[in-house]
Amino acid sequence: MLEGLRVSAFLAGRSLRRGNKGTIVLTVMIIALVFVNLVFLPSIVQGVVVSFNRQAIDYNYGNLDIEPREGEFYIPDGDTLVTRLGRMPGVVAAAPRIVVGAAITFATTTRSRSVIGVDRETEVLVTRTSTRMIEGEYLSAGDRDAIVIGKTLAGEKDERLDQLESLGGARVGDSVTVAYSNGEIRRYRVKGIFRTDAVGADSSAYVTRAELADVLGLQGQVSQVLIRTVEEGNEDEFRNRLYAFGVQEPISTWQEKSRGILADVTESFAIINLISTAVSLIIAVVVIFIVVFINTVNRRRQIGILKAIGIDKGMIVNSYVLQVIFMALLGTGLGVGLLAVVLRLLTVYPLRFPGGPVYPAVETAQILQSMASLLIVSVIAGYVPAWRTASEEILSAIRG
Amino acid sequence: MIEAVDLSRVYRMGTVDVQALRGVSFAIDRGEFVGIMGSSGSGKSTLLHIMGLLDRPTTGSLTVDGVDVLALSERERTRFRLARLGYVFQDYALIGELSALENVFLTPLVRGAGRGEYLRAAREILDEVGLLDRADHLQYELSGGEQQRVAIARALVNHPAIVFADEPCANLDTATSKTILDLFARLNRELGQTIVMVSHEDWHRRYFCRVIHLEDGRVDRLEDQACMSHADVGDRGAMI
Repeated sequence: MLEGLRVSAFLAGRSLRRGNKGTIVLTVMIIALVFVNLVFLPSIVQGVVVSFNRQAIDYNYGNLDIEPREGEFYIPDGDTLVTRLGRMPGVVAAAPRIVVGAAITFATTTRSRSVIGVDRETEVLVTRTSTRMIEGEYLSAGDRDAIVIGKTLAGEKDERLDQLESLGGARVGDSVTVAYSNGEIRRYRVKGIFRTDAVGADSSAYVTRAELADVLGLQGQVSQVLIRTVEEGNEDEFRNRLYAFGVQEPISTWQEKSRGILADVTESFAIINLISTAVSLIIAVVVIFIVVFINTVNRRRQIGILKAIGIDKGMIVNSYVLQVIFMALLGTGLGVGLLAVVLRLLTVYPLRFPGGPVYPAVETAQILQSMASLLIVSVIAGYVPAWRTASEEILSAIRG
Repeated sequence: MIEAVDLSRVYRMGTVDVQALRGVSFAIDRGEFVGIMGSSGSGKSTLLHIMGLLDRPTTGSLTVDGVDVLALSERERTRFRLARLGYVFQDYALIGELSALENVFLTPLVRGAGRGEYLRAAREILDEVGLLDRADHLQYELSGGEQQRVAIARALVNHPAIVFADEPCANLDTATSKTILDLFARLNRELGQTIVMVSHEDWHRRYFCRVIHLEDGRVDRLEDQACMSHADVGDRGAMI
């Protein structure tokens, strides 16, 4: 076995060293590009997923979201709950919110949107909306006549520039009228406009919780409590700790809250990904098959001579397989280099998606899987034509 | 050394059967330099290929170096060729990507020889055929005669029981052919190497101990020559 490999390696080495360099370079380049293609698209898909996940945590749900029990509108005594949660190990902060539907009017344009009442002190620790102000300022603790609105809701004066229905170009300093679902109407000054790129968040408006509590006549009740945890990724386990801690209300993880849209996106991308991977691998198989087939057909006579002088067919076939393995390894190595350049570029100049900039996210497992699949298909694509040619009768091979 | 009994070979050419050999029987002893001669299409190469285990007869029996070679599997035939037979082809049949030295040490390498061993063996035999100074040259850097000498070195490096040569001088000029034939004769004389060679050149006959004349796939006659003391091979060659 090892002796055979030694001979195969010798023949492969000489063939690579003294064979057609152009063919080798071309094959290596194609393998490299196929490798880039195998990793690139999944990295973009993963980037989209990571981006969605980040937005879900940072702008919509925190890590965990406590909501009222079935059939109830509010969590009673939210303040006490928030105070208790704030003392719990592993909790960065808990942000109480009141969420209510309202009709927001700017000039002659009225839009129905959610108005969220937040406490600045805790909200800034749980969500990052306050860091994404593009105009004006975020809410202060004592604000009662101020509102901050998302860029999508604020919109542009030229409605053709809007992606969704908007207020038609509300700006900082403008006054908007908010008609709440209980009939209460308040007038607010736009204090700031934020842009998170998370569609749901950017279509919302924020006032202070004190203001909304006043509007709705609430005393300590809240619609939801968002929790930011120190560690991410073990939200399920943390939820159990919260239940053990005495929380009675239903708790959802950010994954559960964003599951619907994210699942759709991920599934769609997974299908595209699968097709792209299959096409890439088929291209690799076809190219390597053709290269090895032409190579072996051109060397039919040489293969016949090798067999005639007593070299086992397996050694001859393996010499071609080893050449393919070498080219596949070189190709994937080059592919890793190309990929690094592409990823670097896309990190500096990220792709712009409707949900915001997407940075490619490459997982080591994806790289290893692509390397392995490329190597396997290369070996198969190299083995089959080499085996076919080497199986020919010695004399007919020698006669060409 | 070689015992062929009633060998026949039928090739299927489309719908037509072509009888290349028809009941050929003969024996070749160890140390002989045997020529197989005949006109074109007489079955010389077919017979050589069958004896050299590159082809199988349709009927008959064949013993080579004491082994019933027709009973061997493909893998066993490959090993047999490697271990006991050497080949010299009409058009040299060197591996173009290998140097002269590499072409020669390939079969010892396959047999599992260590680096030092196969390099020494290859250099010795290249020296024997007068090409040690061309050891690192590739095929295209060698003349036809040099390529054929490399092929002979490759055939001999494993110390085969029999060397088969299929018209080894067909592509060479007369002077170079003589060099090659002298080399064969010297190997036969000095090393006792059994050589079976196909030729259609009448003047080659002088080098052979024995000639098997084929005609239409049959043995036309067996011609025993005084198996040379070989001392006069050079002189004979010079006379041509």
